[in-house]
Amino acid sequence: MSQVCLISGSPGCGKTNWILNTFKNYSGNCGYLRLGGYSEINLEQAINSKIDFAFLKDQIPNLLDLSISNSISEKDKENILIIIEFPQFFTPKSQGINGVDLRIINELEKYNLQPNRYLHFGRDPELSIKDTLDFREIESISLDLQKHIWDPASLNTFWFELVNGAYGDVYRAKALMNLPDGRYILFNWIVSQQGSQYQTLNQVAPLNGRPERCSEIVIQGKNLNFESIKATIHNCLLNDAVLDHHQTSLRNSQLQTARR
Amino acid sequence: MNQAVISCLHANLPAVEAVLKDIELQGITNITCLGDLVGYGPQPNEVIELIRDKEIPTCQGCWDEDVVDGLDACDCSYPSQLAEKRGHFAHQWTTDKLTTENKDYLANLPYSIRKDKCLFVHGSPNSQHEYLLPDMDAFAALERVENARAEILFCGHTHQPYIRELADGSIAVKIKNAVPKDTQEKEIQLPMRRIVNAGSVGEPRHGGTKATYVVYNDVTNEVKIREVEYDIELTCKAIIDAGLPPIFAWRLKNGFEFAEQAEDASHVCER
Amino acid sequence: MIERWALVSGLKGDLDTYELIQKDLKKTPGNITLFVLGDMIGPEKNCNRLLHRLINPKSNDLQPWCIYGWWEEQILLESGYRGDQRAEALRINKGEEVVKSLTNAVDKSFLDWIAALQFGFVELDCGLIHGSSKDVGENLTLDTPPLTLLDRLTRLQVNRLFTARSKQQFHLELTEGIVNSEVEDLNGNRKKEQKVPQKAVIGIGAGKNYTLYDVGTDNTQFVQAGYKTEKRIKGFGRL
Repeated sequence: MSQVCLISGSPGCGKTNWILNTFKNYSGNCGYLRLGGYSEINLEQAINSKIDFAFLKDQIPNLLDLSISNSISEKDKENILIIIEFPQFFTPKSQGINGVDLRIINELEKYNLQPNRYLHFGRDPELSIKDTLDFREIESISLDLQKHIWDPASLNTFWFELVNGAYGDVYRAKALMNLPDGRYILFNWIVSQQGSQYQTLNQVAPLNGRPERCSEIVIQGKNLNFESIKATIHNCLLNDAVLDHHQTSLRNSQLQTARR
Repeated sequence: MNQAVISCLHANLPAVEAVLKDIELQGITNITCLGDLVGYGPQPNEVIELIRDKEIPTCQGCWDEDVVDGLDACDCSYPSQLAEKRGHFAHQWTTDKLTTENKDYLANLPYSIRKDKCLFVHGSPNSQHEYLLPDMDAFAALERVENARAEILFCGHTHQPYIRELADGSIAVKIKNAVPKDTQEKEIQLPMRRIVNAGSVGEPRHGGTKATYVVYNDVTNEVKIREVEYDIELTCKAIIDAGLPPIFAWRLKNGFEFAEQAEDASHVCER
Repeated sequence: MIERWALVSGLKGDLDTYELIQKDLKKTPGNITLFVLGDMIGPEKNCNRLLHRLINPKSNDLQPWCIYGWWEEQILLESGYRGDQRAEALRINKGEEVVKSLTNAVDKSFLDWIAALQFGFVELDCGLIHGSSKDVGENLTLDTPPLTLLDRLTRLQVNRLFTARSKQQFHLELTEGIVNSEVEDLNGNRKKEQKVPQKAVIGIGAGKNYTLYDVGTDNTQFVQAGYKTEKRIKGFGRL
């Protein structure tokens, strides 16, 4: 029998990590869908980023992407655990499924999904309340960085500046980024936590050209200077000539190691 | 007599004015400047003209040299592409802003200044780009001073003030083999020498935001590091008004250098 | 098996001397590695045959491991391999004739090979360079101040430095080095005593004079090319 679980919470409260752990502890098929959520007055939702799915898929290769229609066969539907997440700033007024925003229910109909369980971070005991903040005013910025590759040292500098307020008050920042050695790194930062979290994903891109995989940055905060952020990011990204130089050097280095 | 040594002004006029005032309040009239009058900061002409008006003996810093030569500081000294691009931008901006007269002034600055037993340089006696860090190999540090035929070497470039004394040194030298045949052995006592880094007036890197410089007494040989507070908001405003990247203002206000220096500070430009 | 290095420099196109050295080394016991520390070329004679031999060793030659030296630097300068720079110092000191002789002594087809040579090698905690770690043209001699020698060793982070530029042959040890360092900065004071382990600088000679170094015992033997093939005089008669 399939389970369809809907979970929500404010940005950076830990939804994705909870989902990952839940999937890892489940022996059957898993499917995932992320909805964009809805903005409120002064509380702007980020765009419906692909970062979370890309991260989960990297950790759970058999994960089904429910945003693609017809991605579940009848066989897959047996004993499947489906988790749908969406960001929501406010705590639902009612318990259980009754508390789900009607707009979400309507959206789920397009995917032919009816949740049989609903959990909200901060309301339900199953979900940790460690990272919930009281948001009053929030802006969102996101940049699609697909096919872009960062200079690693520049990335460190930019991220340091970003989370320390150089471009505005940042409440939450997450990004999935490509490095010239093929590594795929998730950066995550929330103002209430000490330090950023970094994770190198399992996927390694070949040392040739630019990878096609999802790469994005999403920043939420106040008084964000979008132009400065964009300009700085641009200065951190490798152009074709520099990338080719890096990749050639890495390929040669790998060849030498292999010969030994 | 007390003398002041300042360095790395980086076109930060409020900081320079505050330091010169602090020096004046101590009754010091003998000042030497170790270069980098310009670079990143918003008031290159004003700072140069202030130093020139006061006739402060100045040696040429790495930024001064690079602006004159039309070159960027050697690319290999930037640890990241971002730092390099910021550096190049600042370099171009400074070059465009400087008057011809001030460029000529920078071009004619000496590489080093010698006063009795003291030698004043920007980076090291070897190069304007060499960092003499406080914990570099002690024998190498001693070699820098000794090879320059000085007893005290004043330097800047690192933006971190320190006073280093190298003393009680000795080494045994043995000729094990030679042509013509020779075997000798002797112990050599190494002289006591000092390296004094004046820190930075305009772009501190010691973790704080105050300008730093040093005061040296040539009778007692005492050296003191001085910290001077200044109106940093004035500089930040000038950075924004000048059209320089706002990130420079943020970095200065938070005690960070405008662009990170290379990790390998022993790097010496081969250019 | 005894591990030995043969260190040669300053051949300046002299193929005959090189062949003598190769003959010597074939008769020298142990496992020998041959290093040629620069100045393979010079203005006095045509260098092409020697260069060809170094790049294409005969089947029974010891493979030479070469680095560039001062004369190689001059020809690279003059041939445009160092940007806009030219061999001006050579021109001023020795005259235009010498510059011309140098460029005539080396066929252009060898220049890329020369340009690809490294500044030096670091093998087993030893630096092998032509001049010094500061400059290819620097002379390190028995009279060089010990602080300078130590600095040149420190720059390469090695305990042995083999140098050729001075043409001298010497093995100089620096031991029991000690110095006290006291630093005062905005965070306070700190003191440190720095000692230096035994280090050495070895001048390997030039031309016919070369050096055999025993890696295991750290002993040097200063020899002349052909010493292994000298005819021995027997009895009281002349040869």
